[in-house]
Amino acid sequence: METIRTIVSEHVEWRSQIFKLAKADIIKTYSGAALGWAWALVKPTIMIFVFWFAFTYGLRHGGDIDGYPFVLWMIPGFIAWSSYMSDMLTQGAGCIRKYKFLVTKMKFPVSTIPSFISISKFSIHLCLMVLVVMIFIVTGHYPDVYWLQLPFYMLCMIAFFTAWGLFSSLLSAMSVDFLNLIKSVTQALFWLSGIMWDVNKINSPTVQFIMHFNPITYIATGYRNCFIYKVWFWEQGERFAMFLIVYIVMVILALWAYKKLIKEIPDVL
Amino acid sequence: MNENNENKVVIEFKNVTKRYKLYKSDKQRLFAVFSKSVKYKEKLAVNDVSFQIRRGESVAFLGKNGAGKSTILKMMTEVAFPTSGEIMIDGRVSALLELSSGFDMEMTGRDNIYLKGQLYGLKNSEIAELEDTIVDFAELDEYIDQPVRTYSSGMRARLGFAVSINIRPEILIVDEALSVGDKEFRKKCRQKVNEIIEKDNVTLVFVTHSIGMAKEFCKRGIVMKKGKLVYDSDIDDAIKYYDPPKPKK
Repeated sequence: METIRTIVSEHVEWRSQIFKLAKADIIKTYSGAALGWAWALVKPTIMIFVFWFAFTYGLRHGGDIDGYPFVLWMIPGFIAWSSYMSDMLTQGAGCIRKYKFLVTKMKFPVSTIPSFISISKFSIHLCLMVLVVMIFIVTGHYPDVYWLQLPFYMLCMIAFFTAWGLFSSLLSAMSVDFLNLIKSVTQALFWLSGIMWDVNKINSPTVQFIMHFNPITYIATGYRNCFIYKVWFWEQGERFAMFLIVYIVMVILALWAYKKLIKEIPDVL
Repeated sequence: MNENNENKVVIEFKNVTKRYKLYKSDKQRLFAVFSKSVKYKEKLAVNDVSFQIRRGESVAFLGKNGAGKSTILKMMTEVAFPTSGEIMIDGRVSALLELSSGFDMEMTGRDNIYLKGQLYGLKNSEIAELEDTIVDFAELDEYIDQPVRTYSSGMRARLGFAVSINIRPEILIVDEALSVGDKEFRKKCRQKVNEIIEKDNVTLVFVTHSIGMAKEFCKRGIVMKKGKLVYDSDIDDAIKYYDPPKPKK
């Protein structure tokens, strides 16, 4: 409890610096490259094209999912993964190391580092989501009431991955081994979490049950609930409860790591 | 003693002890997070140190390598935490520790000035006022709009010094930093440090091996030995204690 209060008060006290650092982080990611901001767009576009090609002509031989062409079906979950979740998995874990100078050279609340990284990544994600909405409109799939629950899933996503960022960045600061472990697991998670295939189509109920404990699956499927499946989040209360359990565990782990490691971090970096 | 505003205590250490845990490897350190049975060696860097520093004082910390001076400065800037004991700091601390780092390498010098200023709690308008002074002082000219990673170590140090000294600190902590740059720049640094001590009643904490420099800036000297505070008095006596004049034969 004490730890929560410290973290919250640090965020309140440093809120303007948090946003400034988030802004600086975005600018930094894309400055220094000739194409600059276009990279934020180019990378996912190429990826979507590649996957569309591979899955339409290669692996699956076409076929629509729920009346949507595969590429359209794929986009919402894929963008959630590629522009936010995967970045938060790896860069979230590395953020204290990346912003070492904030820890060892001045007085700065370490707990806010994952938060401003999260804000920075989410801003880029929002821009891409605007693009996704446009793609759906252009292809004749107009907005309906189900799209309104998108902010709910975004909130779940930010909440989970910011807690993850705090937990993993503290451990990565203690040891590079942990960071390397995360990096190697990320690619596996991409294929395991149902970003590229439909989790609802798994035949074994046990496997499907286990799958829904995966927050990445919950969020990617949630994005598709808005655009494709047309399901409200409260119609899948069980899945939400499962996500919530994992989220609470994540928060407890983050608080535990914070309490245990915060005073040691400056000594080891 | 009357406790008016002029000589209130701005830095206070109460029985401060700092131990570093040394593990064999990164892997061992990671395991130690989860298990208590991992072995490590302990290094006692600062051992039960207490002192007070009042506003406007200028204090030199003298001591050999490994005496715990730098650890004390780190704890003063609140980037490291004591293992036990209490530390009280009152005022905006600006630290000239390892000047060449402490920047975001990908950002330009100018952006770094703003970032640092913001992190020290200055408003953008205040930073804009200081910007020209800082750029002038650092002698970086057109390099100020290049990313800091392209700077030479001397340029980084100059920028670091210029920022730290110009953001109107209340407590200035200097760690061997006045030896950056060429002779003229060093002279300018010293003048500037003296100026803000006298004009703005800044508290100075200074760590050095150089007795000459300590004498030039400080009125009080604290001698550290193997993590312990062994002597605390005015600067001349402290220097005599630290480096006794060799007896003539």
